[in-house]
Amino acid sequence: MKDIKLNVNGKDYTLNVDENIKLLGLLRDELGLTGAKEGCGEGECGACTVIMDGETVNSCLVMAFQADGSNILTIEGLEQNGELHPIQQAFIDVGAVQCGYCTPGMIMSVKALLDKNTNPTREEIREGISGNLCRCTGYNKIVDAAELSIKYLEEGRR
Amino acid sequence: MVLEGVYKVRSIDEVVELLEKYRENAKIIAGGTDIVIALRNEKITPKVLIDISSIDELKSIKDEGEFIKIGAGVTFTKIVESSLFQKNLWGLYKACRLVGSPQIRNKGTIGGNIANGSPAADSIPPLICLGSTITLASKNGKRKVLLEEYYKDKANYGMKEDELLVSIDFKKPTENRVLSFAKLGLRKALAISRISIATFLELDKKGQVTTIRVASGSLGKYPMRELEVEEFLCGRKLNERTIDEAIKVVQQSMDERLKGRSTLPYKRVAVESMLRESIGDGIKFLDGVRA
Repeated sequence: MKDIKLNVNGKDYTLNVDENIKLLGLLRDELGLTGAKEGCGEGECGACTVIMDGETVNSCLVMAFQADGSNILTIEGLEQNGELHPIQQAFIDVGAVQCGYCTPGMIMSVKALLDKNTNPTREEIREGISGNLCRCTGYNKIVDAAELSIKYLEEGRR
Repeated sequence: MVLEGVYKVRSIDEVVELLEKYRENAKIIAGGTDIVIALRNEKITPKVLIDISSIDELKSIKDEGEFIKIGAGVTFTKIVESSLFQKNLWGLYKACRLVGSPQIRNKGTIGGNIANGSPAADSIPPLICLGSTITLASKNGKRKVLLEEYYKDKANYGMKEDELLVSIDFKKPTENRVLSFAKLGLRKALAISRISIATFLELDKKGQVTTIRVASGSLGKYPMRELEVEEFLCGRKLNERTIDEAIKVVQQSMDERLKGRSTLPYKRVAVESMLRESIGDGIKFLDGVRA
């Protein structure tokens, strides 16, 4: 077992983790944050996407001990004071959620994209979510939702 | 997967110390985008993992005037976002840009691309074209190896179990030289290269080739220089006809090297547009410089 310290969704944790577990397992099984999902387990599908130190990562490909000292943001950390994050709201308003399995990962990828580029083109949005698969194939709605969230975020800044 | 010990280290000295101690029982992990899958599938079963992703020294890109030095732990995202690879080193930018997905590029490192030794590693053909040298460190000190030799002669130049890949460096090309790159993947994102071609080109005022290097990925057991086509192109004027003939030269090399492989008929045809794209991009850039 290995002692690690990390911050998840603004909260500090000191944990004693099994050497063999991944960041995804730590989030889901130790911390009960089940938004990130295991899809493929090899970095193809993006269902496990979380933001680690400002960048999206496939949490199924990060060993838990590697996250020592890092800042992690998961889908659960997006809402503020019981209010959904503008990107989450946009996904609902557009109807960009079908089965929902890819949604947490998709939203984290959109979040990371918009953190770097506040006004991406449709093409840039597609590129930004290119590491996330939607087996329901609802990509157009997802890109629509990302576009709507740009608007929501702008309104929020005003 | 049963790991007995995991280490998150802060310095190269600590790594080589651990490698010396654990030898073949230890594996280095940086971005983890390849090795975690290998661990999961039990393709490798190390007892110890050494995480080098927090070693600052390995994470910087240094412009040293005549040379550029890239730390082995530099991620593809960092290369894509660097201003150093936007002009005549565009080929390296493009290769790194086409790796995996945003998530993979955020974690995957250029050192991992080399250390894993995949024949399809996207960043290698451009680095070979640049005449890159890699630096390997062990408890006994450091040694430098030409990247091309590293692949060609693993017995003599390959990485030993107590060594860590520290950095990659290459001479900055002068403005009249350009590195370009083309990749054929089966889809836009998360595609493993079927073929990749990198070219390094210099033309004189008449459009004749004064310097050319061509390196390929996925056209052999490892990424390599395509010496026959280089020899053919050197000194010639680069027009459509020359490029058509150059394609035939590459195909001849492939016929020998990939004899009996089921992918040969496909790759023979597909290589045409890859060589055309890579050389074409180079010419376009140089036309801009000369104009």
